[in-house]
Amino acid sequence: MASIYIHIPFCEHKCIYCDFYSVVPAETGTEGYSQRQQYISSLKAEIEILAENKSCNESIGTIFFGGGTPSLLHPSEIEQILDTLAAHFSIEAGAEITLEANPGTVDKNKLADFRTAGINRISIGIQSFHDDDLKFLTRIHSSSEAKKCVKDASEAGFENISFDLIFSLPGQTLSRWKSNLEQAVELQPAHISCYSLSVEPKTPLFYMIQSRQAAQVEMERDADLYEFTIDFLSSHGYEQYEVSNFARRDPASDFKCRHNLNYWNHSNYLGFGPSAHSFWINERWWNISNLSEYIKKINIRTLPVSEREKLTAAQLMEEAIFLGLRSEGIDLNGFRRKFSRDLSAENERVISELIKQDKIILVNGRMRLTAKGYVICDEICQKLH
Amino acid sequence: MENIRNFCIIAHIDHGKSTLADRLLEYTGTVAARDLTKQMLDDMDLEQERGITIKLHAVQIKYQSHDKKNCTLNLIDTPGHVDFTYEVSRSLAACEGAILVIDATQGVEAQTISNLYLAIDAGLEIIPFINKVDLPSAKTMIDTVKKQVVDLIGCKEEEILMGSAKSGMGTDEVLEAIVTRIPAPKGDPAAPLQALIFDSVFDEYRGAVAYVRVMEGTIREKDKIRFFSNGKEFQAEDVGILEMQKKRTGTLSAGDVGYVIANVKDVHDTKVGDTITLADNPAADPLPGYKEAKPMVFSGMYPSNSDDFGELRDALDKLKLNDASLIFEPESSVALGFGFRAGFLGLLHMEIVRERLEREYNQNLINTVPNVEYRVTTTDKEVIYVDNPALMPDAGKIEKVEEPFVKAQIITPTEYIGNIMKLCMDRRGVHKNTTYLSPERADIHFELPLSEIIFDFYDKLKSLSRGYASLDYDFIDYFDSDLVKLDILLNGEPVDALSTIIHRAKSYEWGRKLCRKLRELIPRQMFEVAIQAAIGSKVIARESLSAIRKNVLAKCYGGDITRKRKLLEKQKEGKRRMKRVGSVEVPQEAFFAVLSLEE
Repeated sequence: MASIYIHIPFCEHKCIYCDFYSVVPAETGTEGYSQRQQYISSLKAEIEILAENKSCNESIGTIFFGGGTPSLLHPSEIEQILDTLAAHFSIEAGAEITLEANPGTVDKNKLADFRTAGINRISIGIQSFHDDDLKFLTRIHSSSEAKKCVKDASEAGFENISFDLIFSLPGQTLSRWKSNLEQAVELQPAHISCYSLSVEPKTPLFYMIQSRQAAQVEMERDADLYEFTIDFLSSHGYEQYEVSNFARRDPASDFKCRHNLNYWNHSNYLGFGPSAHSFWINERWWNISNLSEYIKKINIRTLPVSEREKLTAAQLMEEAIFLGLRSEGIDLNGFRRKFSRDLSAENERVISELIKQDKIILVNGRMRLTAKGYVICDEICQKLH
Repeated sequence: MENIRNFCIIAHIDHGKSTLADRLLEYTGTVAARDLTKQMLDDMDLEQERGITIKLHAVQIKYQSHDKKNCTLNLIDTPGHVDFTYEVSRSLAACEGAILVIDATQGVEAQTISNLYLAIDAGLEIIPFINKVDLPSAKTMIDTVKKQVVDLIGCKEEEILMGSAKSGMGTDEVLEAIVTRIPAPKGDPAAPLQALIFDSVFDEYRGAVAYVRVMEGTIREKDKIRFFSNGKEFQAEDVGILEMQKKRTGTLSAGDVGYVIANVKDVHDTKVGDTITLADNPAADPLPGYKEAKPMVFSGMYPSNSDDFGELRDALDKLKLNDASLIFEPESSVALGFGFRAGFLGLLHMEIVRERLEREYNQNLINTVPNVEYRVTTTDKEVIYVDNPALMPDAGKIEKVEEPFVKAQIITPTEYIGNIMKLCMDRRGVHKNTTYLSPERADIHFELPLSEIIFDFYDKLKSLSRGYASLDYDFIDYFDSDLVKLDILLNGEPVDALSTIIHRAKSYEWGRKLCRKLRELIPRQMFEVAIQAAIGSKVIARESLSAIRKNVLAKCYGGDITRKRKLLEKQKEGKRRMKRVGSVEVPQEAFFAVLSLEE
């Protein structure tokens, strides 16, 4: 089963911490509309060009609209894109189709139209339930709008709703963060992603920290908040299945994000739109991060690829280790079959030490991290060869 | 032969020795001004950067004197730093005269004196030249400096030359003085050959190139030559003089300076200080050689990546071809793996070797903290020399430990005497005497343990005297000291490469500082790390490094796995460069942490 990622590179405003590629349209209204239209025809063309040039005979199990702000699109535009995909790929009947939504860009009707267009999972960028946090992060919505959005989404027919929350904001106390988590679980979303605020180079936040307008949270506090998050969510019915991702335990449904799991399982995926990444068998490539350059390339029927890399067996193995560890663990037998290496035997000393420290567990032939292990996931990855 | 003059230029560092050499080459047309990169004789990159001449070179200058004599002047360059006293003496032995350059704004300094004494010992004619007289700040100094020179050399005031090497003022007078005041070489071209090797370099294609001064006899191409030290014989294939490049002349006679290439594959055969003679008509005796250069400072040199041991050995072997004073032998460390213990003339020499290995031979090195060589008498009366603190015998087996002491001469403006006295006392110095070169300049003599001056003594001396004090030192002997071996333990495991030998009175403070520094330098691990300093089994300082709390990249989605993988590869590479002590990973810079311990 393969996946498709669609990048929507528009935002009403760029948040201070974000380093994903997007542009703020010069104006909303008709000009914004024509820019979007131009982009959507390019996107459709890109899908066609790729489908003509690459035989992708795998069925598509997940589609993800990310950004930028995909919820800025009109539901009919989403429908056009999905129609184009369906014309060129075989989309599975129960495919997971996610849209990232900014609470400041949708109302109940629009959400219902997205649902009708085929979106069946919605990921809402709530980030915080405190208005001053949202103001600091320069989000365009308020806490009450966020809550309203959740309610609207639910009423619009979405069962699979995910929240994005950010912790380790400058000066954030444990009690403030705890109140965010409490408000989140009270709304009972199917899925919660909690990201520690990372300071990416060249973002406004980066310069604020450099000029000491904002103070970066110390590692100790960040660790406290993260460990608390894991404890809190697991005791409130959420299962951690990746460093930052938690799914509501539900006997009837599995709410883990299948799309993201595919990234971490080494499944194939195709990305469309500027800055989108793709992976197919042993090759990774990514598109140029520039909208006008992207459109120019498409206009001359050329794939807008910025760079490609063919992965060596060693690189694939390296990836399998860190992707497996940061998500649902490494299937040791599968690993041995794929890479002819016995990971547990070759790292026996390190692994037994980590088991003793309760950072790794071996269950059903899988080696996976415990809550204590997730906290130092990257440290552990560096120890395994 | 009567028109040949062999001379060198000696000076305290930065007094203008190389600049004067440049002017002589330019004035005589030996090299065109436009080709003259600043300080021509320093052709190693490193030398130009540091503004010091490390390896000596020689060059022949043609000069027509005022009385129309066509003269051949051989300028033999000398290094100007305290570490290289030994090499200065090599150059002096090939000359009959020396120009002593003194900076008019600085006056006589420590190496002015030490180099002068070497030149006087070698029986050279001294021509004093006061340089930089055109600088505004020189005006008030010149008379004082002249008086210092007269007192020092015992010459007449009118024998002192004055000028500016930078502008060329006085160059003509210097050249005339070389011709009129320095004696022509003596020697008989028909006598049995005695040629002094004053330097040798290794040429990848031609083998060892010996730089020689012929004292007696004549050497010609095709001659069968013999080295006195080992009796080995070779055929001279290429013989010539040293202009800006080697110039083949086929013959060198008594009084000449030049080079000999004889298909010598091992540079150790062309030993500096050795005498070359002819196999068919050998001289009865060699020329007096020099005493062997004695390494004073020792340090472990390890490849960052343990797999590169062989490469490092090759690089050291090659470097040694051009640096006879470098010695090294293999050693191994629990923490660092296989490497070498190398001996150097001084700290600067060590720095230069390290930089050359890194720049010219692309080596990634870990240097351990430098130390001196200790003389240990064991309880069974055996005397051993210990150049690696890790190899110090157990305290119970030691009867006494002696360390090398030096006689240090510091010349300073009198206003800094107090500061300097305090510095020397802090370094366990014993004041011998102070004399005054003038009412404003003192010449202070101290006896100091060498170990106390190899780290940062020179820098400290410079900073507390605003750069005015100068230093020279000479080994005296080994003396008894109350020394202890200080070990560093990480989670109970001793780190051999961090052991030091230190005076008991200083050991507690040192241990505390070192533990604190290591706590800063060692990254947090997955578990708590105890950093301890111990003398024998007694722990004298302790720091604890708490376990790492969090290390995980929150975001790994949008499918950009490449970026994450590259980040991880980089971190892994960083880890690979660390050394393991037990289960603790120690970064390489921790192994010379001691060098950056603040007072």
